[in-house]
Amino acid sequence: MQAKQANFREYVLPSFIVIFTLFLIILTKGSLFPIILSATLAYVLYPLIKFLEVRGIKRIYAVLALYLIAGIGIFLAVYFLFQLVSFEFSGFQKAWGTYTQKIFHSIEGANKQLSSIFPFLPKFNISGKINLLVQEIPQLILGFMPALTLFFVVPFITFFMLLGGPEIMDYILDHIPSKYVEVILHILSRIDASLGNYMRGIITEAFIIFAIAFVGLILMQLNYAVIIAIIIGISSLVPYLGAFVGAVISSIVAYFQHGGFIYVFNILLFFGAIRFFDDWFLQPLVMKKAVKLNPAIVVFALMAGFEIAGIWGVIFAIPVTCILKELLQIMLELQETEFRWKPKPHPTRISIPYT
Amino acid sequence: MSFLRVFYDEDVLKKIKFLKKIRLFEGIREKHLIHVLESLVERTYLKSETIFTQGDIGRALYIVFSGRVHLSIFHPQTKTHKMLAEVHPGEIFGEMALIEEMPRIATATAAEDTKVFMLFKPKLENLLISRPTIGVILALQLAKIMSSRLREQIEEKPLSLKI
Repeated sequence: MQAKQANFREYVLPSFIVIFTLFLIILTKGSLFPIILSATLAYVLYPLIKFLEVRGIKRIYAVLALYLIAGIGIFLAVYFLFQLVSFEFSGFQKAWGTYTQKIFHSIEGANKQLSSIFPFLPKFNISGKINLLVQEIPQLILGFMPALTLFFVVPFITFFMLLGGPEIMDYILDHIPSKYVEVILHILSRIDASLGNYMRGIITEAFIIFAIAFVGLILMQLNYAVIIAIIIGISSLVPYLGAFVGAVISSIVAYFQHGGFIYVFNILLFFGAIRFFDDWFLQPLVMKKAVKLNPAIVVFALMAGFEIAGIWGVIFAIPVTCILKELLQIMLELQETEFRWKPKPHPTRISIPYT
Repeated sequence: MSFLRVFYDEDVLKKIKFLKKIRLFEGIREKHLIHVLESLVERTYLKSETIFTQGDIGRALYIVFSGRVHLSIFHPQTKTHKMLAEVHPGEIFGEMALIEEMPRIATATAAEDTKVFMLFKPKLENLLISRPTIGVILALQLAKIMSSRLREQIEEKPLSLKI
């Protein structure tokens, strides 16, 4: 069993495959987004498939059963939500004109008062800029509509990813030197342990916050409760954002709907309670096994994500940070152990012999 | 019944029955063995493939499902390999390095096409902490296995993995 001499020629083909794959990724980066989303969804759903698989159900039927149940559930939810949302959207479209006028008048009033105190303010044309922004909000919301096509494309791709299961990874592992298999599987199991728990935790958290906001806003008889609850649910996928977004939007709607600050105060109280419930009860419960990130790193990751890929960058910022943190930790450990940066650890020595 | 076979994967039942016979999982109820199976990674090594090398940091314990594995130790002074043991279906190896995260003391090579189950540290920890009913038995069995191996070594018997 003589150690094989390292030969650079054996790395030519793998290097070519890696470079070609990277080149292909760069070329097709525009169409990669649905694939990334599908892979994420498949990753989140895979434990459910495995749950059924280890109980003896063949994978094809496990995936079909999951899609059937999820399909019926989503169809019913979307059907009833669309009834409400489309009704609210038409109302929202009609009401938006009145709202913009009210907002504009309020800003004008405030601007006049401020201009009398600070004479240099009119030069900045603040009211004009805000007015433009306010008028463009419906366009911004409608700008997200093309993303709706993803709702059809992503489940389709995810289906085949779930059907393939871990076979893609097995195929790769089968074609690399077997001595590296253990360390690669170790890295994957470490990433899976922290990232998987984070992903499943944040989705559970977002759904619970959506449900609370939905019920709470309906009970408070706030207009557009459904749309606002959906926005809160989606924005809850980003740490700290859900309750904040909910509080801002709901306060504006409450102010113009009822015209009094007492309603705004109630709304703020409600979202403060949600934030408290989230921080003190929900997160410790659903995120107890997830990777721990420093709040400063979370904020930095969110800003960097926005800089790189806009709103989707914000959504994916934390999962990517989880992977990077785990990878960094594993790399440091490997440097220390495999490359002998640190002396070999000494085994625990107990002086008392076996008796 | 034949209708159910279309949906049911009988391999799972075979694997559960296999796990039931493993000393490491002795005392774990059959319904809980499903969680154990969920934590295991299955892998097939071809004849003469290296599973792990002496000196590598241990990251998983192995259970042989089918085939045979040779454990050999390399002596740098004499530059010779000494066969340490042969591992057969139902036997486990590689657990010591996993627990202490120490370098492996031997090299494991597949003596023929061999299917193994691998239990990685995060999954082991998950079983120990999140599922205490399984974890307690697992920890106890691990201690028993190590103790019996230690006893055998001290009694200067040839090292065997049959436990």
